[in-house]
Amino acid sequence: MLATALGIVLRRLIAAVPILVLVSMMLFAVLRLLPVDPAAMSVPPNATRDEIERVRRDMGLDRPIPEQYAIWALGFLRGDFGTSIHYRRPVGPLIAETLPTTIELALASLAVAALLGLGGGLWLFHVRGSWKEAAGDVGSTALMSVPSFLWAIILILLFAVALRAMPVAGRLDMSFTRPSGSGFLLLDTLLAGRFDMFASALKHLVLPALALGLSFSPPLMRVLRSSLHDVYAEDYIRQARLRGLTEGRILVAHAARNALIPTVTLLGVQFGFLFGGTLLVEVIFSYPGIGSLMVEAVRNTDLPMIQAIGLTYCLVVLAINAATDIACRLLDPRLRAA
Amino acid sequence: MTSMTPRIAAIAAAVATSLIGAQAVAQAKDSVVIGWQSDIPSWDPTQRTSPDSQSIFKAVFDQPLDQALDLSLRGHLAKSWKLAPDGLSVELEFRDDVTFHNGDKLTSEDFRYTFFERPKKVEKLDIANFWRNVVDIETPSPTKAIIKLSKPMPTAPQWLSFFCSYVLPKRYMESVGPDAFRDKPVGSGPYKVVDYQLGSRMVLERNDAYWGPKPAIRNVTIQVIKEASSRVSAIQAGQVDLTVNVAVREADRLGKEKGLTAQLTPITRVVLLQIRNDLGFADANIRLAAHHAIDKEAISKAFYNGAAVPLSVVATPGSPGHLADYKFPHDPAKATALLAKSGHAPDKPAKIKFATTNGHFPSDFEIARAIAAMWKKVGIDAEIETIEYAKYFELNRGHKLPEATLYSWDNASGDPEIFSGYLLNPNMPFSAWKGPEIGEKVLKLFGVVDYNERVAGYRAVAREAVETGASIPLLQSVISVVHKDGLSYARYGNGWILPQSMAWK
Repeated sequence: MLATALGIVLRRLIAAVPILVLVSMMLFAVLRLLPVDPAAMSVPPNATRDEIERVRRDMGLDRPIPEQYAIWALGFLRGDFGTSIHYRRPVGPLIAETLPTTIELALASLAVAALLGLGGGLWLFHVRGSWKEAAGDVGSTALMSVPSFLWAIILILLFAVALRAMPVAGRLDMSFTRPSGSGFLLLDTLLAGRFDMFASALKHLVLPALALGLSFSPPLMRVLRSSLHDVYAEDYIRQARLRGLTEGRILVAHAARNALIPTVTLLGVQFGFLFGGTLLVEVIFSYPGIGSLMVEAVRNTDLPMIQAIGLTYCLVVLAINAATDIACRLLDPRLRAA
Repeated sequence: MTSMTPRIAAIAAAVATSLIGAQAVAQAKDSVVIGWQSDIPSWDPTQRTSPDSQSIFKAVFDQPLDQALDLSLRGHLAKSWKLAPDGLSVELEFRDDVTFHNGDKLTSEDFRYTFFERPKKVEKLDIANFWRNVVDIETPSPTKAIIKLSKPMPTAPQWLSFFCSYVLPKRYMESVGPDAFRDKPVGSGPYKVVDYQLGSRMVLERNDAYWGPKPAIRNVTIQVIKEASSRVSAIQAGQVDLTVNVAVREADRLGKEKGLTAQLTPITRVVLLQIRNDLGFADANIRLAAHHAIDKEAISKAFYNGAAVPLSVVATPGSPGHLADYKFPHDPAKATALLAKSGHAPDKPAKIKFATTNGHFPSDFEIARAIAAMWKKVGIDAEIETIEYAKYFELNRGHKLPEATLYSWDNASGDPEIFSGYLLNPNMPFSAWKGPEIGEKVLKLFGVVDYNERVAGYRAVAREAVETGASIPLLQSVISVVHKDGLSYARYGNGWILPQSMAWK
C-alpha cells in the first residue's frame, strides 16, 4: 500500500515539473503584458525618472523578457521568490506566514462540505422516492445557488450582528496572543495546551468554513446519491440482500464504499476550487491567509507577490490531485492493480 | 485511563462553553478595539509612504514636529525649530527626556541616523526620497541637530511632521538589523507593540514611561478589516469599539442605532479633476465650460449625503492656501456660452477622454459618470476610461493621462505646496498640467522661504489655476467614524485617528 502511495507521489512529482514550468511561464508572461511598471510601483510617488530607471535596472526589468524569466525561475529554484513591492520584504516568508491559515480554512471548509455532502447524499438516497427527497433537492439547489461570499455576508448578519454569537473578523479573540508554532492555529493551541484559545480559534473558523463549505456540499450530495443508485442496480447488492444482510449493513459495507470513489474524485476537484474560493471569504472575514495577501498584492500591483502566490495555488492544486489519486486507489483495488 | 476521563471532560466543557457562549462585546475602560481599514506595509515607518498607516505609526513612533487639531505645526521631539532665511538649513532643539521603548535615550544622533546616515546606506527607503537634498546633519550636542540642505526646502518643517519622518533608535536598529526591527519594533511613542499578525491584528500597550501626556487607554487592539461592509458588521455586532471609512450612508444609519455615534469629519483630502493643457482641452473656453457645468453641491448630496464640501480652489477650508471668499460658480448657461465661442454645442460637442478609478475612493466611478452627464448637457462629450490606481502615477509620469482625470489628493500637512504646488508643478509626477505660465510661478514658489510670501503666492496661483481652467477642484472629502457611545477621540483636520487621543467617559 505504501509503495503504491509513494509511486503515485513520485509520478505526480515528475508530472508536476512541466506543469509548473508552463504555469510559471504563463503567469510571468501575462504579468509582463499588463500595462504597469513594477519599477515605478516600487518607488515613492515623488521619485525622479533617474531613480525609477535605477530601480528598473536593479530589478532586471531592462533585460529581455526570456532573460528576466530565467533569472526569476533560477531564484525560485533557490527558494528566492523575489521581493514584494508593497512590503519590501522577501515574498517567501510572507507566503509561509499566511499559507497555513488558508490551508486550515480550506481543510475546515472541506470538512464542512464533506460532512454535509456525504451525510446529505446518504440521506437523500435513504428517502428516495419520497417528498423528502424532493424537499432535499430544493434545499441543495438553494445551497448551491448562493455563492460563498453571499453566504459569508448572510452568516455574519445572522450569527454576528443579529445573534451576537460569533466573531466577524480575525482568528482569535482580542484577549489572546497567538502562540508561536506551525501557523496552524488549531494545532498550535492544542499543542500549547491552551484549550480556551483552541475554542476561540475554532469559533473564529466556523463561519468562514461554513461560508465556503456550504456551496460546495450540494454537488457531493448529488454525486453520492447518483452513485448509490448505480451501485444498488448491481448484482452483488441483490445477492447481499439474498444473504439476509440488513439494509444498513448493505449500505455501509458494500454500497457506500463503491459509491464513494466518484465522490472522492469530485471532492479532490472541489478542493482545488475551494482553495481558490478562500480569497473572497478571507477578505470578508479578515482572515489573514494567502487569499488576503493576494487581494492586497493585486490592489498594489505587487507583481512578484502575485507570481509567487499564483504558483503556490498551482502547487497546492497539484498536491491535492496527488492526494485524491492516492485516496481513490485506496478505495478501489482495481485502480491499484492498474 | 480513569484519571484522564475527568480531565478530558473538563477540557471538553471548557471548549464547549467558549464555543456556545455569546461573543464577548463589552470592553474594559482601559482598552479599545479599533476596526481599521488596512494593514501597515512594515513596522519600519520610514520605509514606505502609506497615508492610512500614519495614525498607527504615530502611536508607536515620534516625529520631530507634530500638528495640532487645526493642523498648525507644533514642537514634539524637537522643542523648537528654525528654518534659515536661505532655506538651506534647519536647526532643531530636541527634548532631553525622551527614551525609546527599550530604555535607550533619544538624542540628535538618532535623528541624524534616521534622516541622513541610514537613507544614504539603505536602498528603498521612502524617507530617502523626501529628504534627498540633505547633505549632512550636524549634531553639536545630544539635543541639537542642524540639517544641511543642497537646495532650499521651505517646507522642511512641515515635512518633519509628515510621511516617513519618524525617529528610529540607532543603537537598537544597528544591533538587531532591519528584519528583526520589523518583527520587534522599538519607537519612542505613547504605545509599544505587543503583538503583530500580518494582515490581521496589531496589539499595542501603553508606554508608561512616555515623555508626553499619558494616553487614557492602556490596551489598544487594531483589528485589520479591509472590507467596508465587514467593518460595519463588526461595529454593529459590538466587536470593535470604533471603526473608520464606512460608506457615508452606512455611517448615517449606524449613527441612529442605540449605543453608536457616527461622525463625518471634513479632512485635508481633495477630490478634483486633473486637467491637461493640450489635446481636447487646449482651448481654455472648453476647460472653463467643463468647470462651470459641474454641480458640486448635487454631487455631494448624491454621493456623500451632502457632507463633502464643494471647493473652488485646490485647498481645504482652514488650510493656509484656502480662499474662503472666492467662489467658482456652477453656471450651465455660462458653460454653454463659452463652448459656443469655441464652436461647440450639445449637437456638436467637444470630445475628450476622461479617466477615473473605480473603487479607489468612495463613489469615484459614479461621480465620473455624473460629471460626464452634466458635460453632455452643455456640449462636452466625455469618453470615460477606467484606470487602476496603481496605473495612475505611471500614466502621469509618461504624460499619458487623458484630458481630464478624476483623482483624490491627500495632504495631511495642509500646506499649500503639497496642494497647488505638487499638483501644478510640471516637473512632478502628480501634475497633469504642463502649461508654462502656471508652471513657472509654481517652480518659483518652491524656492520662496518666507512663509507668508509663500502662502500668498500659492493662494494666487490656486486662484489663477481655476480661472484659467488649469485645475477643477470638486469636493473636500470626509472621513466617517463610527464608535460606541462613551468613547471619545480627537478629530484631526487631516483625518488622523490617534489611539492616544481616545478615552472612555
